[in-house]
Amino acid sequence: MEIALVPHADVLVLSITGSVDSLNADQLTSAFAGPIGEGRQRLVADFAQVNYTSSAGLRSLLITVKECRRAGGDLRLAALQPQVERVLSIAGFTGILKVYDDVPSAVASFGDAA
Amino acid sequence: MKQHAIPVPIQMPVTAPVVTLVIGSGSVKCAAAIGVVKALTDAGIGIDRVVGCSAGALFASCVALGFDTATSRDLTVRTWTREITSQRNVKGLLRLVAPRLFGFRADNFGLRGDGLLRQRLRDVFGDRCIEDTAIPLHITATDFANGELVEIVRGPLVDAIRASLSLPLAFEPVRLGERLLVDGYLSDPLPVSVAMKHGARVIVAVGFENPYQERISSAGRFAFQLSAILANNLLRSRLAFHSAAHHSELIMILPEFKRRVRLFDTAMVPYIIEEGEQATLQQLPYLHSLLNADRDRLAQAA
Repeated sequence: MEIALVPHADVLVLSITGSVDSLNADQLTSAFAGPIGEGRQRLVADFAQVNYTSSAGLRSLLITVKECRRAGGDLRLAALQPQVERVLSIAGFTGILKVYDDVPSAVASFGDAA
Repeated sequence: MKQHAIPVPIQMPVTAPVVTLVIGSGSVKCAAAIGVVKALTDAGIGIDRVVGCSAGALFASCVALGFDTATSRDLTVRTWTREITSQRNVKGLLRLVAPRLFGFRADNFGLRGDGLLRQRLRDVFGDRCIEDTAIPLHITATDFANGELVEIVRGPLVDAIRASLSLPLAFEPVRLGERLLVDGYLSDPLPVSVAMKHGARVIVAVGFENPYQERISSAGRFAFQLSAILANNLLRSRLAFHSAAHHSELIMILPEFKRRVRLFDTAMVPYIIEEGEQATLQQLPYLHSLLNADRDRLAQAA
């Protein structure tokens, strides 16, 4: 899994490539935790290049979204592939996470909410 | 939620690649589990425990007894046909219309006779008991008195499967011991919790969402739609919790049926099995990596 950080004003986009699973969930959690620790709690996870997620990946997202919201921010998802969206949906995660069609929409949503 | 079972020892760490298999409710779609097991077996991945719910209990029993793909496919085609719900239970209908006159009770109400279903289950499983299976088997049902998930780990397979398959309103509940049991899907359509409780590490969960009705043209279809709404929401909420709570990995196999599969589309069993196998094959690269990493982690811990 590769993660690229792309700042958009006060929103940080994490573009993820590969699978989000048990083998790299810790890496993902750490990648999210870094910016949160630096006071950046408005995060977008760009899932356009994520082809698989498992329960460990879901847990990583859950940890991160709780940390962000506790600090007054949020983690929002963008550009889910159908197979990933299906896993998130059937596991109930689309009910608690905000999901957008693309990164610009997800970034803009923070402006709407602010 | 309290679960009831005779205690089973937590599985000790193993070095061979194994997973715990959970097969959820889903009527004939559960035959996809045959393809799942085939893909796992061909890849050299064993099953250390199997859990089944509702129609999934039928296939979990086949896995636990070591039936091969051809045998499982054949018995599915012979067993799971529309005829098993086509026998009207006249007494049940009368009890619905005039409950006092015909002695309506919770344990005697069902609109369909279960004689054929029981006969077919006996044809397949005979007098075998759950505790006799080669792979530890857990069949789930629901306590009618309080809604609790009940884990059946002893006794005749036929009775356990029939209890797990107590489709509401259609089949009478089943009394096992002091409990009156109804369909397992009413407490959890995909009972991953049973695998977790018994110490499973990597869990492969084969789950199915209930199909929504295309057209509501009868009270029966209306009831099916309500049942599907409830069951699908329960499936999601339970999976959300289990995904968050499991200490290791929960791999969901969610076969995508591009062709619509109805409750008793028995002719589609080969297609359903193929979809289950394909869905599993897509997971195998990750599953192998995961099991290898898990084995190394256990070796280091030892």
